[in-house]
Parts: sequence; C-alpha cells; structure tokens
Amino acid sequence: MTWLFPFYLLGAAAIIAPILLHLRRRPPQDRVEFSSLLFLDAQTPVPVSKRRLENWLLLLLRCLALILLALMFARPFLRSESAASTSPDRATLILIDRSASMRRDDLWKRALDEAKRTAQSAKITDRVALAVFDQKLTPLWTFEEDRASPAARTTEFPTRLAAHSPSWSATHLDRALIDAVALFDTNTASLKKHILLITDLQEGTHLDALRTIAWPADLRLQVHRLDPANADNLSLALAASESTTDTSVRRDTAASTQASTIRVRLANTRASRLRDFTLAWKDAPKSDSITAQLQPGASRILTAPPNSTNATTLTLTGDTEDFDNHLFIAPPQPRTVRIHFLGDNTTRDEAASPLYYLSRALQPTATLAPALSADKKLPTQNPDIIFLSGATTNAETSTALRDFLTQGGFLVHVIASPTDATLIKALTGLNDLTITDGDTTDDYRMLGEVNTAHPLLKPFADPRLRDFTKLRFWHHRHITFKDDLAKKLETLASFDNGHPAILTARIGKGTLILLASGWHPGDSQFALSTKFVPLLYGWLAAAGFSHDPAASLIVGDALPLDATQSHTITDPDNKTHTLKPGQTFTTELIGLHTIATASRKLTVAVNLPPDEGRVLPFEPQKLADYGIKLAAAVDLDATTASADQQRLSATETEQRQRSWWWILLGLLAVLLLETWFAGRARQTTPQTA
Amino acid sequence: MSSATTFLDPAALMRIKSLELRAKVVVEGLWKGMHRSPYHGFSVEFSEYRAYVQGDDPRYIDWKVLARSDRTYIKKFEDETNLRCQLVIDHSKSMGYGSQSYTKADYAATLAATLASFLMKQGDAAGLTTFAEGIEEHLPPRNRPGHLRRIITELERPAKATGTSLAVSIGQLADLLRKRGMICLITDLLAPIEHLEKQLALLGAMGHDLVLFHLMDRAEIDFTFEKSAHFRDAESGVERFIDPQLARETYLKRLAAHREHIQQSCDRHNVEYHWCPTDKPLEEVLFTFLSARQRKKASKSSAKLAA
Repeated sequence: MTWLFPFYLLGAAAIIAPILLHLRRRPPQDRVEFSSLLFLDAQTPVPVSKRRLENWLLLLLRCLALILLALMFARPFLRSESAASTSPDRATLILIDRSASMRRDDLWKRALDEAKRTAQSAKITDRVALAVFDQKLTPLWTFEEDRASPAARTTEFPTRLAAHSPSWSATHLDRALIDAVALFDTNTASLKKHILLITDLQEGTHLDALRTIAWPADLRLQVHRLDPANADNLSLALAASESTTDTSVRRDTAASTQASTIRVRLANTRASRLRDFTLAWKDAPKSDSITAQLQPGASRILTAPPNSTNATTLTLTGDTEDFDNHLFIAPPQPRTVRIHFLGDNTTRDEAASPLYYLSRALQPTATLAPALSADKKLPTQNPDIIFLSGATTNAETSTALRDFLTQGGFLVHVIASPTDATLIKALTGLNDLTITDGDTTDDYRMLGEVNTAHPLLKPFADPRLRDFTKLRFWHHRHITFKDDLAKKLETLASFDNGHPAILTARIGKGTLILLASGWHPGDSQFALSTKFVPLLYGWLAAAGFSHDPAASLIVGDALPLDATQSHTITDPDNKTHTLKPGQTFTTELIGLHTIATASRKLTVAVNLPPDEGRVLPFEPQKLADYGIKLAAAVDLDATTASADQQRLSATETEQRQRSWWWILLGLLAVLLLETWFAGRARQTTPQTA
Repeated sequence: MSSATTFLDPAALMRIKSLELRAKVVVEGLWKGMHRSPYHGFSVEFSEYRAYVQGDDPRYIDWKVLARSDRTYIKKFEDETNLRCQLVIDHSKSMGYGSQSYTKADYAATLAATLASFLMKQGDAAGLTTFAEGIEEHLPPRNRPGHLRRIITELERPAKATGTSLAVSIGQLADLLRKRGMICLITDLLAPIEHLEKQLALLGAMGHDLVLFHLMDRAEIDFTFEKSAHFRDAESGVERFIDPQLARETYLKRLAAHREHIQQSCDRHNVEYHWCPTDKPLEEVLFTFLSARQRKKASKSSAKLAA
C-alpha cells in the first residue's frame, strides 16, 4: 500500500478530539417543563469527570470516520502492477496518420521529419517500429526487424516512408490503435512500451471502437499533434437525397424528372476566417455556379447548380485546402430492361387494351430504361420479362415459354379464359388444375387477403400502402388446384370470396406469376389504381432490375460487383484491374471508376469520406476518455523527468484503482451509522415521568 | 355503574376532539347509570316550601300542603328553586401541564363541560368563570338554549395567563356572584394558599355551596422523574437544577402537607373536597360528587326532621 499524499495521514491524529470530548462529562443540559416548582428546591449541578469513556460505540464510529477521512485524502494505491516497466529501455511504435486530411499544408513532410527525428534519437538498445494508418494499419518496420538490425532503422525509415503518401481514406485511429497494440510482441514485454502517434488529430477521426478494448496498463500513447498554419476549411460532401419513404412517390418523381436532384452538404470549420464560396460543375459557365457565404461552424445543404455540361465533378472553391473540395457524381446510366408483351391485342392506343396501360406505366427512369415490345409471338431473342395476356398459344409457344422460365426468365401471365389452363399445365407441369370463370352473381370482387410479406409484393411492405379497398375486380377466373400443389403454387393475394387472385410459382430458375384477373378496365380497376406502377416496378426489381439508385461510395468501400462474373475495373488514374468472378475491389482513390462486365459497363463515383473534411484538431486528452493511457508532455527535461514521471505514474495508478472512492463510501456508511446511533441516544434522553 | 372498570378511560375520552361531544359521552353514560340509581339529582334539594309571611303573593300558596298539614306554605317558582351552579376554572399555565396525552386543563374543561351539560339537562342553570391572576371570563349561570354552547366555546379557549392568584380571583368572584348557589372550583391549587382559607370562608359565609375539585397530574403526585435536569416552572419560567432522586422525598412530603392543609381548610369551612388525579375516570369523579351531594341532602333533611 502506497500513498499519493502521505502528508494527509497526519490528519488521523484528529481522533484525539472526539476521545477528549467523550471523556469530558457535561452536566445534564436537559430541560424539563414542570407545572410548578413550589415544592422543589434548587440543587447545584454535579460536575463529574469520571475519566471513563461514555458512549464508546459512538466514539469508535467517530474515530473511524476521522481515520477514513484521513485515508481518503492520502489516496492509497497498490503499486505492484506498475513494477514491470522498470527497464530504462523503451519499445516505441511510431504511428503516422496518412489519411486524406494529412494532404493539407506540409503536414506529411513534418510527420516524416518527426518520425525520422524519433528514430535517430532512440538508443541502440531501444526498439523502434514504424507503421502508417488511414482506414487500416500498415506496418513498415516491425520490432522483429528492429531487433535484427537496429542500426539500419535510420536508413530504412526514409526509404520505406518514401513509398507512402497521404491516401484518400478516412482516419480510423481506433482500428489502427487496436492493431498497434498487437504489434508489441513478447520480446518487448520487459521494455517500456510506448506509441508515438503523429497525426493532425482532426475532429473527423473515428474513435468509437476504442471503447471496445481494454487498453494495456503498461502501454503509453504519446501524441505528436501536427497543427497546420490555419484551420480554415470548407468541405463538400454528398447529402442524402430528399427523404421520402413513399417509394411510389419517389419513383414517380424520378421517372418524370429523368435525373434525381443532387443535394450537397457544405460545411465551414468553426475557427475559419473564410465565408465566401463558389459551387460549380467542372467547366460549367459562370452563370450556372452558386456563390454564397457560409458562417464559421455552419453547415448547409444545397441543391447542386444546374448541370448543363453533363459534368461529373462538382467543385467548391473558396479555401486553400483542395483535398475535400471535389464531389464526383456518376452520370445517369439507365439500364435497359427488355420487356415483351405477348398477346393478340397489341394496340397501345386503346384504353381497353392491357398494353395501353403497360406501355404508360413502364416509363424510362434515371436507372431503368424499359424497352417494351409487343407481338402475338415470342421474339427471337429472349427478353428479360414477358407479360402474357390474351394470347392464343400453341404447343411451340408453350415449350418456348417453359424454356424461358427454366433459364431464369420472369413471366407474368394474365389468365384471360378457362382455356389458359392448358398453357399453365404445360408451364408448371401441374395437371390437377382447373380454371373456370369466377362467380358473376355479385357486382364486383375485392382483394381479401394480400401476403405483403412476400418478396414479390415488396412495394407494399410499408403499412401505409396496404390499402387495397379501392381496388375492384369486375371479372376474374377461378383457379382450383389440389392442396398438395399449394407448395408449388403460392397464393400472393386472394379475392374476398377466397379465390386466388395472384399466384406464383418457381419454375427452374425463373418465376411465374399468375393473375386471375387482368389490369385493364374490362377486368378490373387495377391499372387505374395507385398500386399498379409500384407492383410492376416491384416485379422488375424481383427480376433483377432494381430501380434504386446505386449507393454513393466513399473511399474504402468495395465496388458493387456481381460475384458470378469477371470484371474489368478502370480507376480514376486510368489503371486497369482485371478481377476474376468472386474477387472484390476496395476503392482507394476518389473519382469515377468504370466497371465493365461482358454485358454491361457501369460508371461508379467514389468520393472522399465526409468526416475527413472536419479538420479542426481536438485535444489529445480526449483520447484518455477512451481509457488510453497518455504519456506526459513530449519533451520533458531529463532531470525532472524521472521524479515527475514517477509521480505521474503513481497518480495514474491511483486514478485507475480509485480506492479513495471505496473509502468515501465506507466513510459515508460510518457517518450514517453514527448519525443513527447519536439520534437514538438523543431520543432516549427526554424524560418521561 | 356497578364497578369502576366500566368507566371510560380518560385517555380514550380525551382523544375525542370535540369538548361538547366529550361532555355528552360522559353525561349519557351517567344518565344510563342513574336509571338504576335511587338518586334523582340534587335540584330536588332546593325545591323547598317557605312559610307564608305577610306580603307574599297568595298565588304561590301551595293549597295541597295547606289541605294536608293545615300550614300555609308558599311554593317557590321553578326557576328560583333550581340550582345555580358557577363553574370556576383555573386557567393558569400550570394547568397546561400533563404527563399523559392530555393536560390538566383538558381534564378540567371536560369536567366542567360535563357538569354544565349534566346540570342543564336536568333544568339547572350553569355559569362559567375562568381565572388566573384575576378573573378572566365570566358567564353568569343561565339555562337557555345556546348557553351550553357558549360555555363550551369559552372552555375551549386556551389559557393565556401565567401565574395564579387564588385570593384575588376568589375575592373578585365573591363580588360577581350575588345570588346564592353552588360554586364548583376546578383547580390544581399549585399556588401559595395562605389566603385561600379566608376567601373560602368568605364564599361560605355568602351562602354559596362550595365544591372544590383538586386536579393533579400523576407525575405531580408521584414525581417519577429519574434523570437530573433543569426543571422549568411553567408559570414563572424560573429554572432550577433538580436531581429527582434527591428531591423526591422532600417533594412528596411537601405535597402531602399542602394537600393536608387544603383538606383541613375545606373541612373547616364546609367545602366539599374532591381529589381528582387526571388519570381518574371522569364518570367516577362525577358519580362520587353526586353521591356526596345526595348524602349531604339526606343528612340535611334528617337534621331538619330531627329539628
């Protein structure tokens, strides 16, 4: 047991006071109200000092409280655990930040200089390792190498560091430190372990994962913060598009405007002296740019200026630091979906025709370009999706459709008459299936039960879109099949008389959807309802043609690749990477990446992580909040160092153990007990006759 | 009211907040007991016949007595024959003492209220006088609707005065009470009593029938304190350091002498003395009081007969 402030132990001597007070016996101070002193004479109070302790339990508690108080102030701690690092030699890991924010000023150069200086000042018996980090830790010189050739470090460091420069990644200091702890091997166990972190310590640094680890007690972190000449910085990042959860609305908007609106977030650092900025597309005329002011510390979301030149880079000007002033936006690349309508009535201009509605619902959007063809027979080249309604089919067509399905096609079949049973039997191979005209006694049918949890009805997963009560069906066909077929034919929706309305079946790799009633006004109000377009796009998505825009990528994200295909990727530096099926590609550069597959070419924009724009430095002390043991100030005077270091380590040990806290609790308990006892003793004093 | 055990516990009685209700409880109990009692109250004692003298109103001649005994007597008016009882309550600070849940003052008020209620219930008039260093309040004896209410309101008023001056108070009372009647003095008599005897003699000489209820708390009677302390006089505020162990013997001796003195004074002047420790059931006090009155009446009438 060692004391941080042993001087306070003298305070325990104060227990003499209660002992003396307990020895002194005061004449009774009690007062009794009495009706009359007529028959009573005054007596002299007896001044007794019997030299005998009264209320010894109370005295004991009071003495204990005083002793505990003295102990608490003396701050005891156990020194055992800090005894390990008694060796004068040090094991130092130099950790250099190479995130995008290190591109500012001459920060990188200064970081290299500091690393070299530390390497040179280290003794030959010290162990020095070197690593750089951004999103992940990259060791450049390990303790193993240093033990093998300690003298080589001064020459090796500059060479190895020269191969690296600041990247475009985010600063994941948490992951880097967690990995750095593992770099200290068993050979460094007897040395004073030490990490020298050379970084700009910007606000955007990720630290959360540090909460998940227990920092080693014998490892100290020394922070060498590189402050740039000024902290003025305007940053530009992509903001989320208009937040609307109503997918149908978003789709309609997107479909009508062709390209969704781009919204950007501009931010100015708190300490910034800058106000003015200009936001413009690359090479755009000046009239298309936005010039405005942004207060220090403010952040604003703006809609991007009109892109008349179809540029892909949005540029912010107004500050000196250029690294976070570009935003790359991939050009709209609508994907072609080949849709074939198979039916006898192929007119697109009559409101009674099913194709009339189909052609109007399937409008091109920013991400999808449906190409709708219509004929009485199948096209020579297989389309992506086939809608079949009111077609007279023969055996040949049936076989072709079955092949289409087994190969992974997507077929939506509107059952127009009982004769379609033959085709369905041929497609599904289910013979116990009959189709009759649905009952016509009532005026209309409505949907009774809809399995909205099914992936094919995904657009209606949102409860607000589940109101099907306005949908009326004038005519429908009744599909009956045996219960044992229910496994193959899944009912997605049924009418209020219990007849199935939408059925689905997996055939080979493909999907077959059966509609018991058509969408055209002759059969129902379906095409005129708000459910029609979302349902169609839901089916397109199920067929692999998702309407959702590609997620915005940042440096460090993997490119969205199809695991079944091989890809050729061209990065912004025009370097080509060929990937085999199943391989992934992690982005390292900002700019437009081109992903080419055998069938398709896609351009993807990769941007700077938005947090890198938050360059204002924070205090190294904040790291201590995450449980990291910080070393004392960087350059301690050698003479005062050892004494101060000891004191500091004692303080740290004490702070970690926090035994005073327990003493305080004990003290409070003793005081409570004392109060209770004293209260009880007082209670018994009042006299009762 | 066959045995003392059926009496109401004073502590339980005092828990009833309303003085009026408290008095009613006691009186009701007493009335019930009276049904089996041969006594019919003491107002009978005062309904007397007076020999007719010249000048008396002949309307008041009792013709039945004349027919029976051939004597001419006049019958006094009901109101005249009824008892006029003045309840005199000590309102000094010492009455505010009580070692139990209630004080002597509470007990006195209940006793007075009960007496007043009892008397008025049987048609007598009751009045109230409170005194401390002198007369504080004085309600002459009446028997009107609402008078009991006034008495009770007056009884409920807390004591303000500090000291007790029995001599001065009784002197003033003698001036106020011109008509003969009964005076019930309810006090703890914790004051010098040198002049008490003189004043009692004065009241007796005025023809008043004097009853003294001497109230004392159990703690005052036994002096059961144990620890030494500064005892404070409730009236004068004087503090004296007392060790009860040492002082008890003297105290008890002096108290006994004090009581002895009072009792002797009472005996000398024909004052009916009732010893009332405050833990004594009120009904018992009243019952003793009524029995004593009845005995007195019996002895008076036998004396008359003998004469």
